[in-house]
Amino acid sequence: MTPRDLAAPAAVTLALCVTPFVGLDGAMLNLLIFMMIIALAAQGWNILGGFGGLASFGHAAFFGTGAYATAILQTKAGLGAWPSLLLGVALGAAVGAFIGFLSFRSGLRGSYFALITLAFAEVLRIASNSAEITGGAAGILVRLDYGFWNMQFEDRRWFAVLAVICVGLSLALVRWMERARFGARLIAVRENEEAARALGVDVFRVKMGAITLSAGVTALAGCLYAQNFLFLDAQVAYGSWISIEALFAAIVGGLGTLFGPLIGAVVLLGVGEITKAVVGGVPGVDLVVFGVLLILTVAFAPGGLAGLAERLGFKRPGAKRIGLKGGRA
Amino acid sequence: MTAMFKSPSRRAVLRGGAAAAVTVLAAPRVLRAQPAAVKLGLLQPMSGFLAQAGDLARIGAEYAVKEINDAGGIKALGGAPVELIVGDSRSNAEAGAQATEELNSAGVVAIGGGFASGISLTATQAAARYDLPFLVDSAVADSITQRDLANTFRFGPNFTMATEVALANLVKLNDAAGKPAKTVALVHEDGLFGSGLAQIMQDKLPGLGFEIVEVISHPTPARDMSNVALRLRSLQPDLIIPSHYYNEFVLLARTLQQQRVKPKGIYAIFGGAASSYQFVSEYPEAAEGVFDCNHWGDPSNPTDAALKKEVEAQGKFFAYNAPINYSLVKVLAEAVEKAGAADRAAVIEQLASAEFASGVMPYGMTKFDASGQNASALPLNTQVQNGEIKVIYPADYAQAEPKFPV
Repeated sequence: MTPRDLAAPAAVTLALCVTPFVGLDGAMLNLLIFMMIIALAAQGWNILGGFGGLASFGHAAFFGTGAYATAILQTKAGLGAWPSLLLGVALGAAVGAFIGFLSFRSGLRGSYFALITLAFAEVLRIASNSAEITGGAAGILVRLDYGFWNMQFEDRRWFAVLAVICVGLSLALVRWMERARFGARLIAVRENEEAARALGVDVFRVKMGAITLSAGVTALAGCLYAQNFLFLDAQVAYGSWISIEALFAAIVGGLGTLFGPLIGAVVLLGVGEITKAVVGGVPGVDLVVFGVLLILTVAFAPGGLAGLAERLGFKRPGAKRIGLKGGRA
Repeated sequence: MTAMFKSPSRRAVLRGGAAAAVTVLAAPRVLRAQPAAVKLGLLQPMSGFLAQAGDLARIGAEYAVKEINDAGGIKALGGAPVELIVGDSRSNAEAGAQATEELNSAGVVAIGGGFASGISLTATQAAARYDLPFLVDSAVADSITQRDLANTFRFGPNFTMATEVALANLVKLNDAAGKPAKTVALVHEDGLFGSGLAQIMQDKLPGLGFEIVEVISHPTPARDMSNVALRLRSLQPDLIIPSHYYNEFVLLARTLQQQRVKPKGIYAIFGGAASSYQFVSEYPEAAEGVFDCNHWGDPSNPTDAALKKEVEAQGKFFAYNAPINYSLVKVLAEAVEKAGAADRAAVIEQLASAEFASGVMPYGMTKFDASGQNASALPLNTQVQNGEIKVIYPADYAQAEPKFPV
């Protein structure tokens, strides 16, 4: 990977870093932070589902582990917010590795793999709803206490910048993946597992790497969620909503593309907000638009918005080099 | 006679014209002198699985706003009208925080509502960033007012207060009937609300002479209660204590009826449907005799009946969300009135120190304690009798004698 490869992700990150300072009000700032959290979760999903072709219905397992770990380590172990976040990411990645180890060792693929991830997320949701350490059904509250070391900023623009930096890091990670042998092997496994194995690719190892990376990135989204909303319960942390949002954003944005998940998150949540602002008093109208957008994308732009842009003539740098076809999963 | 039809003189015409011109020119001054509206926010689930509750809350709040404005608005602010801005929490916690941000951007002086505990926890925290007063309506988690957030107040009773009343009334009910109920089955939703109540019941019921034969939890939403009903049929408990939201309560009550499970009583605590006229109207046989201890308006207050009429006029079924949110808007308006300014800090100060009329809720005078909890909040015990929801306890508000065993 050359510094030039990082130019596009760096430019996008810089542009997003400036956004909180252009006079956004609290609601828009909150929306931007939420977009970044969903973009991160979707990027996590994209690493496994988009690049690896291993569609998961249970990324909530990683998101929730990151979120709960951050909250529990702060409230029960008295750890600082920053080390809690790092440990949250590590624990999320470990859960990913554990689920991956059990699934891939048994040769689970396709819908079987998707269902096993869903089952793990549900088991974790039910367990966390009754376990004492997670606060049971009452959930966990992180105390509102402003300070850099608590990762709680009185001026929320700084939290937005932090979320953008995390998205920037995930973009750099995916760009590295695209350029590295690991990415090429992962795509080879996605396209034809048997052929990849015949060519000497260690399929199990590649898949394990993908799920661990994917889980770590999604766990980071969970950590940020916990720090932003300062409240978690089992439904929020391990509920199916985040698995679905991550999957939707990645599909709408463009599977197996660098910017797809970010575009998907921004468009899906942004269109919802614009609809609310335009239509106003009709409750739930943004959710209707959300659904229509998804149907249109799947029907007319299977490569997602990034794929559509490519079809319309905007060339994706580096796509040829690794033989990516936008939108294949 | 002729004088009556005489043409006006030129002088009179000029005088009249001048007066009219002055009136027209002065009109913007008069318009400018009108006080700006006081914006109050209402945060409710207007979409998602709790939308029905949010809709009823909106009707109650709008009714209060109309009453306030018809009576001349906020007098301390020169008759400023109250404007209600509704934020949709979409029945989930993070959308609740987002809607709070939007209400803050809209420039509201205070927010009321929340409805569910998870939504109220994130929304009050989001409001705390702007020192924006937040008066929670019916969310019951004790922790809502235990976080030292100066902006957060709760109008209704919390878990601890409500369960104390519910258990005391259960014992009274059972004792008065000669203690027919000895065994109890708890059926609850597995969220904060149901699990919290079930835990308190498990801790306290054995000490009050009841044996808990089973505790059954289920997720929300639940699609089928057959297994729960069959289990209850085999256990034959004297009393079933359910804690669910509306749909699950209806599902359980109907399934119990289908499976011919006939306990001596169904005693709900914050039963999602037991105090809803939709349930009573649509499933009268399943609803008959069901007890509930819940938020409920003072039946002797004529406005409570007027609210019910208003809800029905809009084609909906009456439930507690309308009276509690009607009363909550009244409290917030009174706080602005007492503060003498549409100023958030002044409203918080008033809420923390003054006493308020409680609208149609049976709370006497509302007074918030140091944590922000309304110390005089009180749930009422109701029973469905002949298709009507009647208050049975406490005696001050009772409309009917309890029928137990059913």
